[in-house]
Amino acid sequence: MPIAPINEDVSVHQLIDDPYPIYQAMRQATPVVQVPSVKRTMLTKAVDCRFVKDNPTLFSSNDPTTPMERAFEAHTLMRKDGEEHMRERRAMMPAFSPRNLKTVWSPMYEKFVTEYLDRLPKDEVVDLFPLLAGPVAARILAECMGIPDATDDEMQFWSQALIDGAGNFGGFDEPFERAARANVQINENLERNAERLKAAPDESALSHMVNAEDPLPWSQILANVKIAIGGGINEPRDAALTILHGLLTNPDQLEEIKATNNWGAAFEEGVRWVAPIQVSSRLVLEDTEIRGFDVPKDTVVMTVQASANHDEEVLENGHLFNALRKPSVVHQSFGSGPHHCMGTHLARLMVGKILMPMIFERFPNMSLPDPNAVNWQGFGFRGPINFPVRLS
Amino acid sequence: MPKLVFKSADKSEVTVEAQPGDSIMHIARQNNVPGISAECGGEMMCATCHCYVDEQWLPQTGQASEEETELLEFASSPVTEASRLSCQLQMTDALDGMIVHIPESQV
Repeated sequence: MPIAPINEDVSVHQLIDDPYPIYQAMRQATPVVQVPSVKRTMLTKAVDCRFVKDNPTLFSSNDPTTPMERAFEAHTLMRKDGEEHMRERRAMMPAFSPRNLKTVWSPMYEKFVTEYLDRLPKDEVVDLFPLLAGPVAARILAECMGIPDATDDEMQFWSQALIDGAGNFGGFDEPFERAARANVQINENLERNAERLKAAPDESALSHMVNAEDPLPWSQILANVKIAIGGGINEPRDAALTILHGLLTNPDQLEEIKATNNWGAAFEEGVRWVAPIQVSSRLVLEDTEIRGFDVPKDTVVMTVQASANHDEEVLENGHLFNALRKPSVVHQSFGSGPHHCMGTHLARLMVGKILMPMIFERFPNMSLPDPNAVNWQGFGFRGPINFPVRLS
Repeated sequence: MPKLVFKSADKSEVTVEAQPGDSIMHIARQNNVPGISAECGGEMMCATCHCYVDEQWLPQTGQASEEETELLEFASSPVTEASRLSCQLQMTDALDGMIVHIPESQV
């Protein structure tokens, strides 16, 4: 079998600016392709992405070439396989049980959304990225994690510092220095809250972890919270703004969703349309074959779920937001297999079922005066980086 | 080998061989039965392998556990007395010929 073709033309900057036309071309001509600029073999077809994620014994999460370990000062569960990964994951799961989502976190989130909506100025153009989507995601995450004294600004600074450090493939000093500063602050905060929660347990992730019968080592408790901070703000934030963009630029769909109260469909379509986490890496453990190409051991393959979600073999007009698709489209934005996103139900409930209807109830005539003023950015993580709307 | 019948929301149906000991989810995925997404692969985390056990087979399959029942609340299609997460339902010889209905959507 031949090895996959090489694409020397695609640059990281192009992928950050506008990856979708590149992925479309790849799906058509080179669905398995080595991309030297990202040092990965990219997979852009839905079937191939799902195949890789569903076969963790062949495609390991333990990719040793990423800067993540340095940025997080830990070998985290994201980069572990098998029982070791599951043990660390299970330690946090009780906090996110269906019962806790319904009885603890949802009512709390509703209260926060109300407060943050109250603060927004009416009848002027405001940017919902820094004024709503970012802070409200930070606030509920701080509570769920068991670090409620962390401010919205701290949470967002830590999150961005960890993300930038983990994505620092160029090995530059500044992102690692910023991640190191964030680590010092997070560690200090977690030590303080761990003491508090040992004395007064609650349903937060940190509480469940420190009060477990057979607790994880402290290093992995820290690592777990850092993973949640690294992923739990930008993703709901980006998902919320992406869904709003889709709905506000398709008023007919918005009317239908309002009339049927089917906010879940708008949520799924938003995260399908522009997946907040666009790509994932897996290390190939044994020589294998994908779509007729030899993929040798030690190759790092990259599943491009952003592309899988637009795959012409799965749906038509995937580049368009359409919350009224029938039947609803199965997307890969939450991944699959053992690393399936732990925040899935939390996100569906909060962003989909709570935040969206509350925003439109409060501001029924909200508008996006200039859709072209919204800037989209990101290769690994993607979403709008500003969102100027008129609230009324 | 025992058999299972999967019936889709659009009324199409497929009969497959079902190895006792395998989960109904695993059997559906192995046979590319559409409509069982099973995103998490059987870890009881995702609620995307929701199915309905045909009424006449309910006495044989037994009840969902408390944990399974809670997670079923996140299923996207209506949850009924017959609802199960197919990853938590194991094939046995006694279930030979069972009809499993697939919901309209999983997300």
